[in-house]
Amino acid sequence: MDAIIILFNNSIEFFKTVVEFAPKFIPGVILTLQLAFFSIILGMIIGLVVAVLKLTKYKWLKKVMNVYITIVRGTPLLLQLYFIFYGLPSMGIMIDSFPSAVIALALHNGAYISEIFRGSIESIDYGQREAARSLGMTKWQAMKRVVLPQAFKRSVPALGNQFIIAVKDSSLASVITITETMLLARQFGAATFNVFPIYFTAGIYYLIITMGLTKILSIVEQRLKVNER
Amino acid sequence: MSMIEIKNLHKYFGELEVLRGIDLTVDESEVVCLIGSSGSGKSTLLRCINFLEEKNEGEIYIDGQLVASKDINEIRQKVGMVFQRFNLFPHMTVIQNVMEGPITVKKMDKKKAHSLAMDLLDKVNLLDKADEYPAMLSGGQQQRVAIARSLAMEPKVILFDEPTSALDPELVGEVLGVMKDLAKEGRTMIIVTHEMGFAKEVADRVIFISEGLIAEEGSPEDIFDRPESERLQNFLGQILV
Repeated sequence: MDAIIILFNNSIEFFKTVVEFAPKFIPGVILTLQLAFFSIILGMIIGLVVAVLKLTKYKWLKKVMNVYITIVRGTPLLLQLYFIFYGLPSMGIMIDSFPSAVIALALHNGAYISEIFRGSIESIDYGQREAARSLGMTKWQAMKRVVLPQAFKRSVPALGNQFIIAVKDSSLASVITITETMLLARQFGAATFNVFPIYFTAGIYYLIITMGLTKILSIVEQRLKVNER
Repeated sequence: MSMIEIKNLHKYFGELEVLRGIDLTVDESEVVCLIGSSGSGKSTLLRCINFLEEKNEGEIYIDGQLVASKDINEIRQKVGMVFQRFNLFPHMTVIQNVMEGPITVKKMDKKKAHSLAMDLLDKVNLLDKADEYPAMLSGGQQQRVAIARSLAMEPKVILFDEPTSALDPELVGEVLGVMKDLAKEGRTMIIVTHEMGFAKEVADRVIFISEGLIAEEGSPEDIFDRPESERLQNFLGQILV
């Protein structure tokens, strides 16, 4: 009986702490959302440009893009963040913490997204390009009007995956002094020594963001799917 | 007047010489059928004409203009192509498929392109399918849309690359019917086909290609009723069983 009462009291304490700290997380959650938003949007632009450049006939461009992808995929994001925020200043390039984080996250996501786009572009039947070209379209028109719309549709599921990774990866920005959700959690935990409910709260916020994102993406996917076999 | 003039066309795929010196002239309003066993080079010949395959040697003139890579987009507007596998754009409706060329390539305004597309869909008897997506259509209907799509560019020549080979037998007739109408209108057409009955009825000239060369050519009667070469006799023997 005693054990149950203790457990009950503990849970009350637990949820009291959760309720107390939940609003205090809002500024951090907003930063997490901003980091995720910018790194996804910029990552998409970088990814599209890199994917298209890799498919051009210029070999050197392809090589440059491959070097970029190799570096980004082959080194930890943590190192990339440190490099941009702490490393570049020694070369005289000073960037504030938030833009540093956005640059690092966008370059990181861009590399992965470019591979997603490349895969889906290459999966489009070559006959589509031939049909477009035989109407007299330029390579670029065929890409823009015929290949990319279809490729984009096919990349939505994999993009969704990458977006969720981007949300979670934004927590690494905490190492370069950005007080997003994760850094706030660490600070609150250190101040109160009551880490369990605090990390629990942070976890709930991440789940809300990623589940929301999943929902949006599945709606997009459904809308795009309507007419295809 | 000759619409297409091909001189000494050679094409290699790696070591393999697929076309070994083709000379061919097609006149305006002429319907030419290319026949031959698979691998003989007839599809490659067709694809060289609008530069989907790059030739290795020789010259091709379309409407007096030399086919070269720098004006290829201009030349392709004069040459329509209909593919074995239709290659409709699946993310566009039927009418959008037909409007796409005029709007994107010719910068025609949307209203004009729309009425042009409606006329063409009427011509291929698919007016009622204008707002459907290609996936909803049968193979025969898709191929008729593909024909309308190529007509929308008002090409001087239309190339057909085995247009009925991917169709169920009962759908072949509707596509051939549309092609017959086009032939009657006096369009210049080059058709790679295995439909010998169609070739016999519609072609002004039948060309038998074998091992990358024109082995025999002539009127449908000459080719089908009085084949001269042994190869053509064998080929006809195999398919007309």
